[in-house]
Amino acid sequence: MTRPAQPQASRRDFLKLAAGATGVVGAPWIARNVQAKPISITFARESSYVKNFDDHFLKVMAPAYEKEMGIKIEYQIQAAGGGAVPQLVSMVENRSGADVAWMQQEWLYRDALVDVSDIADYVGKTYGGWYDAIKLLSVDNGKWKTVPNSNIGQCMVYRKDWFDEAGIKKFPETWDEFMEAGIKLKAKGHPFGMSMGHGFADNYSWLYPLLWSYGATVMDKDGKKVALDASETARAVDYVRKLYKEACIEDCIGWLDPHNNKAFLTSQISCTNNAYSIMVSAKRDLPDMGKVIDHALNPKGPTGQRYHSLVPVTHGVFAYSKDVQAAKDFLKWTFEPKQFKPWIASGDMYFAPFLHGFDKAPEWDIEPRVKPFQKVLETGKLTSWPAPANKAHGAVINRWVVIDMFSKACTGAPTKNVIAEAVSQLKQIYGIA
Amino acid sequence: MSRVVEASGARALAARVHRPFGLHRLRELVERESIYSWLMLTPPVLFLLAFLGYPFFYGVYLSFFRREVAGPATFVGLHNFVILANDPIFWQSVGNTVKFTAVATILKASGGLAMALVMNQNFKMKSITRALLLLPFIVPTVLSTVAWQWIYDPGLGLFNRLLVVSGLATTGVSWLGTPMMAMISVIIVNTWRGLPFFGISILAGLQTIPVELHESATIDGAGTWGRFRYVTLPALLPVLFIVTTFSIILTFFDFQLVYVLTGGGPANGTHLMATYAYSLSMGAGQMGLGSAVALSMVPVLGLLLVLLTVYVRKD
Repeated sequence: MTRPAQPQASRRDFLKLAAGATGVVGAPWIARNVQAKPISITFARESSYVKNFDDHFLKVMAPAYEKEMGIKIEYQIQAAGGGAVPQLVSMVENRSGADVAWMQQEWLYRDALVDVSDIADYVGKTYGGWYDAIKLLSVDNGKWKTVPNSNIGQCMVYRKDWFDEAGIKKFPETWDEFMEAGIKLKAKGHPFGMSMGHGFADNYSWLYPLLWSYGATVMDKDGKKVALDASETARAVDYVRKLYKEACIEDCIGWLDPHNNKAFLTSQISCTNNAYSIMVSAKRDLPDMGKVIDHALNPKGPTGQRYHSLVPVTHGVFAYSKDVQAAKDFLKWTFEPKQFKPWIASGDMYFAPFLHGFDKAPEWDIEPRVKPFQKVLETGKLTSWPAPANKAHGAVINRWVVIDMFSKACTGAPTKNVIAEAVSQLKQIYGIA
Repeated sequence: MSRVVEASGARALAARVHRPFGLHRLRELVERESIYSWLMLTPPVLFLLAFLGYPFFYGVYLSFFRREVAGPATFVGLHNFVILANDPIFWQSVGNTVKFTAVATILKASGGLAMALVMNQNFKMKSITRALLLLPFIVPTVLSTVAWQWIYDPGLGLFNRLLVVSGLATTGVSWLGTPMMAMISVIIVNTWRGLPFFGISILAGLQTIPVELHESATIDGAGTWGRFRYVTLPALLPVLFIVTTFSIILTFFDFQLVYVLTGGGPANGTHLMATYAYSLSMGAGQMGLGSAVALSMVPVLGLLLVLLTVYVRKD
């Protein structure tokens, strides 16, 4: 990609400028010694809701790698729930920290990542090929900048006992039926709790699929034109406003990611959109509730289509790593069948690989209520879809442009205004006049 | 050469034998006030330059660039500020910050004054009560804010339980569910956390007021209100001014509380300039734009610092 011929400066230039201005001779930078073999590799990853997954890495994989290669793996667990992004931004800005990391929102740091196409090709061939949807994220200008690890499936989580009591024997197939069910359940004191606050997963995971299933998208396929300003968007906004008012708990427009888990586990809501962490917690701490929780796919919209939002976990290697090749070797090693299959199995498919070779993995049959998550990948799209996931898209996500369009409508703002405000922000972010 | 000079030269030589010349000269130099004071000042100045000066000037520099994470910076002049001038969320966050700061500071100042007046009386367990009142100030904000999340919980939260159990309401209030209630809720938490700062500072001020002033006012016929209005309040004004100014600065830049409690939502209803700057820089990776928001807070800080300096000098 060519860059505009404008004066460019970097952080380093600023340092030079500052040093010159103050007459200070540059700080004594210690040159990195190129070592024959690193003593350790730091691997940063968000804390998993499934404890076994982290435990498996720490107790089985890391010691195995050290034994095999003589390199210690420092497993740096980052706080979950959006906290990992600022930590990664900080690492990339300071060019220090992890060698290999879970690239949550990788579009933010692509420039700091090395090409891992060789590993991605190898992994794809080993496990029956990649799902196409993830290529919009991991492939940039024809090169894989990350190797997708897995998707954290998000779909509807509901209290089957309360749905049964309200006479709803089957989870709603369409958003309209979903609204009807919500109205009935709210009347019985069991409202829905659909997150619409400034979180990072549980809000996108139903609002974007809903928007898509109404026939609208945020941007066009190339990411050059704003597509949100459409009658389909208006209908989706009107739907969400009504759903919020008639079927939801009032608080949900302010909810961050942990809030719906808490509300569900304290029996305040009968349905929300989440990963299956709620069921994991309930089975562990609230066995009675653990028995009556079930999952379902997102309903279909007026277009007859059903969508899900992907929450991808991708792993990448930082270009500033002391030994890039050693970091890449480690990353490839994690994908070898001897390591990768037991690791994924340890997470009970909470992390579902974007690889067709896992479509019929026996782990999907361990807990039948997890089955809907197997189907999420089939209709799963990135939040940038149909446009590529780039920095501008990252800004849309992190500034909650689409989420706030819906939540403002719920607070009473007119549909036309909330769409216009979102469109204006999109134009500014994408640099469209 | 005279004997006196010879003798003093011998003494100096002897001194040199016992004390190495370098160390002696060094001590002499260090003991000079002009050098000593700089020696003492240098570490904090270097510390301030490294941890406040560098980020600040780097922030100023960034605000004139379009700069994304790990990417090169492109000079854009004042373009970031033009974008902000046309950004409704920026103006919403400015409005929220002003509202948040004004209401919270008024509540903290009046509540703190009341707290100090009560604490200045003699009563049983005064010391323990004073220590307990400091708790909100001592507990790390992130921890106390997580506790407040539970207090505000719609179903199980302390406030809603109290409302329902006492029969004051049939259903609880949605404390964080609407933009207005969320703003009220974050102001309540900020006030709770900031009250002890006001209370303890004003209490210290109260204790410096000579008892004789109160006694003579009483003799002159002043009642409780009269003594407060004409003795206590004028004597407290300098303390009140300084504490309020500091509090405005701290409240204006508050971040943790809102970030943990609402993340700036719902519908940007509690987005402060600090949280908006953070979400643009660290979330959206738009370092230049985020720095421009942060820099927009500086004039307010500058104005307050000028006021504070003028006031302190006048004294």
